[in-house]
Amino acid sequence: MIPLLSVRDLVTTFHTSDGPVQAVRGVSFDLSAGETLAIVGESGSGKSVTATSLMNMVRAPGRIESGSITFKGVDVLAKSRDELRQMRGAAMSMIFQDPVAALDPLMRIRDQLGEAIRAHSAISASAANARAIELMHQVGIPDPEARLRDYPLAFSGGMSQRVMIAMALANDPEVIIADEPTTALDVTVQAQILDVLDTLNRDRGTAVILITHNLGVVAQLCQRVAVMYGGKIVETGPTAEVFANPQHPYTRDLLAATPKLSQPRDVPLVAISGRPPTMREPIIGCSYAPRDPLAVARCFVEAPALEPGEGARRHACWVSDGTTSLPPRPELGLEIDQAPRAAAPRGAALLQVADLTKQFDGPRARAFGRRQQVRAVDGVTFDVHQGETLGLVGESGCGKSTIAKLVLGVESPTGGSIRYAGQDSTVLSAAARRRYNRNVQIVFQNPMSALNPRRTVGSMLSEPLALQGMRGQELRDRRDALLELVGMDASIANRFPHEFSGGQRQRLVIARALAVDPQLIVCDEAVAALDVSLQAQIINLLKELQTRLGLSYLFIGHDLATVRHIADRIMVMYLGQIVEQGTAEQVTGNPQHPYTVSLLSAVPDPDPSALSRQRVILQGEVPTPLNPPSGCRFHTRCPIGPTMRTDREICRTEKPTADPEAEHGVACHFAGEFTLVGSGSSAPISADVPHGLGPVRQTTRKTLQ
Amino acid sequence: MLIFTAKRVLSGLIVLLVASVVIFFILRLAPGDPAAALAGADADQATIDAIRTRLGLDLPLWQQYASWLGGILTGNLGDSFILSAPIAELIGDSLPNTVFLAGGALLLALVGGAVVGIVLGVSRRRAVNSVFTAANSVAFAVPPYVTGVFLTLVFSIYLGVLPSGGVGPGLGDPVGAIPYLLLPAVTLALPTGATIARFLAASMRRQREEDFVQAGIAKGLTTTTLFARHVIPNSLPPVLTVLGIQIGQLLAGAIIVEVVFAWPGVGQLILQSVITRDYLLTQVLLLLAVAVFVVMQTLTDLADAALDPRVRMGIR
Amino acid sequence: MTAIPELSPARSRRLPSALRGTLADPGVFIATVIVIIFVSVGLLAPFLPLQSPYLQGGQAFAPPSAEHWLGTDEFGRDLFSRVLFGIRQDALVGVIAVPIGALMGILLGLASGLNRILDAVLQRILDVSLAFSSLVMGIVVAAIVGAGIEAVLITVALVNVPLFGRLTRSAVRSQQVRDYVTAARVTGAGPIRVLVRHVLPNAVDALIVQAALSLSIAVFIEGAMSFVGIGVRPPEPSLGSLLRSSSSFLAIAPLYAIAPMVILTALVLCFNVIGDGLNRRLLRR
Repeated sequence: MIPLLSVRDLVTTFHTSDGPVQAVRGVSFDLSAGETLAIVGESGSGKSVTATSLMNMVRAPGRIESGSITFKGVDVLAKSRDELRQMRGAAMSMIFQDPVAALDPLMRIRDQLGEAIRAHSAISASAANARAIELMHQVGIPDPEARLRDYPLAFSGGMSQRVMIAMALANDPEVIIADEPTTALDVTVQAQILDVLDTLNRDRGTAVILITHNLGVVAQLCQRVAVMYGGKIVETGPTAEVFANPQHPYTRDLLAATPKLSQPRDVPLVAISGRPPTMREPIIGCSYAPRDPLAVARCFVEAPALEPGEGARRHACWVSDGTTSLPPRPELGLEIDQAPRAAAPRGAALLQVADLTKQFDGPRARAFGRRQQVRAVDGVTFDVHQGETLGLVGESGCGKSTIAKLVLGVESPTGGSIRYAGQDSTVLSAAARRRYNRNVQIVFQNPMSALNPRRTVGSMLSEPLALQGMRGQELRDRRDALLELVGMDASIANRFPHEFSGGQRQRLVIARALAVDPQLIVCDEAVAALDVSLQAQIINLLKELQTRLGLSYLFIGHDLATVRHIADRIMVMYLGQIVEQGTAEQVTGNPQHPYTVSLLSAVPDPDPSALSRQRVILQGEVPTPLNPPSGCRFHTRCPIGPTMRTDREICRTEKPTADPEAEHGVACHFAGEFTLVGSGSSAPISADVPHGLGPVRQTTRKTLQ
Repeated sequence: MLIFTAKRVLSGLIVLLVASVVIFFILRLAPGDPAAALAGADADQATIDAIRTRLGLDLPLWQQYASWLGGILTGNLGDSFILSAPIAELIGDSLPNTVFLAGGALLLALVGGAVVGIVLGVSRRRAVNSVFTAANSVAFAVPPYVTGVFLTLVFSIYLGVLPSGGVGPGLGDPVGAIPYLLLPAVTLALPTGATIARFLAASMRRQREEDFVQAGIAKGLTTTTLFARHVIPNSLPPVLTVLGIQIGQLLAGAIIVEVVFAWPGVGQLILQSVITRDYLLTQVLLLLAVAVFVVMQTLTDLADAALDPRVRMGIR
Repeated sequence: MTAIPELSPARSRRLPSALRGTLADPGVFIATVIVIIFVSVGLLAPFLPLQSPYLQGGQAFAPPSAEHWLGTDEFGRDLFSRVLFGIRQDALVGVIAVPIGALMGILLGLASGLNRILDAVLQRILDVSLAFSSLVMGIVVAAIVGAGIEAVLITVALVNVPLFGRLTRSAVRSQQVRDYVTAARVTGAGPIRVLVRHVLPNAVDALIVQAALSLSIAVFIEGAMSFVGIGVRPPEPSLGSLLRSSSSFLAIAPLYAIAPMVILTALVLCFNVIGDGLNRRLLRR
């Protein structure tokens, strides 16, 4: 059978002013009609460039140098401009990573959809309008007639992505290329979008090529996977088989570096040392050999080709034989001891936060009227104890970053109190804040913007030391000790931040935070901007520093799997309030709040055994904090709330509270009613909920073939 | 949109009010006694005092300001004592000429700037780009007094095809006045047109890289549709902002061009008033300049809002 | 979309090397050489063996000769000497007024970072100052202090205050939300230290570009004010006043106007070329 799409030896190079960047270095794969294929890799692996190459729309200064792309028997690269135009959006279409940026902000949705329809078929405007309504309906946008008149600014990220999918579907394409379609979205919205893609693949037989860095997303949506590294596919095969028994060391390490909910939380994450190739120099031998401790001499001199293994599997590796499992990655000196921390006796409470509230000025309700108040944080109470890690999890806009700023002391709370080591630290004078910050420091999300591009590493680290009164040799010794502490060489003091990779930069940020010898570090999405392999390095470093220096962390994140891996206790936040808090085991193993349950079930897991796990797809999106729902703030989306059960008026009227003293506190009137059903179980989530109706959709993926 | 318009008009009025205060009081900083200057070198104190009383210069400053502003609001602009004529009349004589000049120049600048900007924004050919960019930089940088003298040298003196100054038959015969308008309008239009072209091209190049353009290609839109419906509309807001500021430059340029080409407009009038220290005339004309600028700014803001729903919503 | 992921390692942030890199651009190099020649000749004019620029009595409108390299003007004065002394006026305006205006603007912009009320006031002032284009500002100044080089100096300084103030203020605002500024604050740096050590260095690029453009504006304003009669006035030579005088005699002595035209254009253009070159190199990474 002729495959729908066939790519052979694709090479795409960017001819930049700093010399050529060989982004794609010989990629070959086939796609059958109706198939779902994932191309997975970290940043710089060439996966996105491969995607844009497929439709021959690589941006300047990029150019497809050689190879062939055959779509339905016709060479895409030989098509004329007009033939290409006719193919794009009709037979093959594409959706993008940032759906908000992919919609023209000045044009009504109706016109943008109509344009996509009418670019390929000569139909009347009213027929196009009818088709647009049908498409909007298909991708699950409520009230399509009205929404069509809106401008993109009225659409949230998730809704924008639905519009993009509707546009991609406009002409019944045979392939949709989805370039990181859920990366910019929250996890509950991600679940919705994956569901839309899954449905259109199953109902309409549209083939999907999914470009992603997220192994969990791959496992959830795609039958087949191609793993890219250094501009090449290093391994490909049925997703379940590849993930169960990886045959390329990179696949193996990537899987081992990914935090998984399906694993016990004390299974160590493998940190892959080194950094990916820059793609500027030619790669001799296997591109992964320098990072693989088990590489043999041949790996460094001769590039392995993609060899057939068992069944439909292929891998490019000299070490693997294609059948037996690869040995696990040996522990290197850098990848430190990962013995799970014994449930250490909780130290004294270091930070006591009570009833913390923060209001911001919002937009005016009416012209010249009073400004509305946004309660970003609304009555939050928690303690951080000596030597522990408290995780704070929530979706974007829930107020978790505001908590970081409040605890750090750079913002003042509107209400409530913050006590540090027994002392009131709620509102501080400049001098008192400086003293306070000797104890409380921060590690930011984006290591690039956290480092002043104008200053050397040395001067960045010296400043806080000098401000403490250190001088001369003492200062230099302390500076070098800090660098050593985070695993960097003291010789880098004269270099500038841009000379370092993301992971190294994050180490420098940590070193700076340690410069004042703090006791508590707020980690605000500290690993979210990093590739998986680097994430594991930083998480391991944070754990090591905690053991050596007795630090406490307030670890803020959006990814439950990651937070679970580092935190001793976890708080889950929704719209400015804590909905559930307890030990990491309790919150992730036995969640009691329906929001926590939904959040957990929405996290995609690469473990093939987790595929049969039930997923709760919350409908709708987080309401605006300008006008939060009354009573329980979650009631508008709650799978067991008043929208599902009319007798539960209490959720609308009465705000549930959790006992902050309890080891496991849940702010829900019906705590524990809605629980997570573990993998393997086939029991429905809640017997009362009718399938496929209301705010909840339950899906169980059939095992992949 | 209505609320947006009301807000913009209101803020324009506030700027105007502040500007009137600034203009009125700052001109009082000038050393010397205007009454004494008016009376002449050998006038006695009584004459000077009489003039002072007649001008209301003996009143407290804020009262002077109030009566001045009140006069303007009721259409009484006062008299120029140097030229012994009502200021309203002086403006009435010269303003139409300036509007004719500035209007012609603005039209030329918009058309020329749009054409060059779009060529620069669309073209990917290096040769086209560098030639147009270089020409544009020159038009952008060369001051209008140099351009004006140069064009006079070439077209009036050397070629002798166009008149070197004046309005010719004047506004009574606009068609007949066009040869007279040509050189001044081109001189005045060049820097503004070049600025529009430059910002439009830069804005288009930025927009061309946006994701929604990439999405448009992926939809299968033709290049023409892509540019006409997506790239160009999205490129306009920054150009509008610049255009609003350029109006001020255009007014200043008009003053220079009126001098170069002996064009009897408001620019000449204001210069004359400054040189003869006719401060009553100066302050009215300055306020007029600020008013024109504020009106044009408000218009460009409204155009921006008409174009961009985000501006209407107050998001951008 | 990540079309070219982790592709361009940000260029070196060391300023001297970036400036050297800018000079490697041939256009910028030529412009810099021209500017240096003009400025040094202008500043050194009184010390050069020139005829007095005020000495009258020779033949009016004499053509260029060995004695008068550019010929003479309507009063028989040596044009070459007048042109050099004219350049001197512009050089002085650039050297004196631009730094004063820039400094005031930068200080105001920085001050806006210290206090919110100050910031709001400054914002209003900047808004209103937009309504006064450079020549209108010149008219206001001339109306107060009278025509002359002082009016030009004051105008150039005043015009530059909002230009630099706006730039510094926007740098302050964009930098203050950066994580590294927060980090500096929480590791013990006070507000002034943060402004001077963390915010200002990151605004330097934009300020340097603005300085080049401001020099161009200075030449433009001198020319404009003198040309329309409210700047440098005859018999003092300046590029603008020379052009004004010559423009009365275009039909009789077309060459008279050439030298001031060429030099004015060259200076304005060269500063613009340098500014654009710096802009490309420093601001667009």
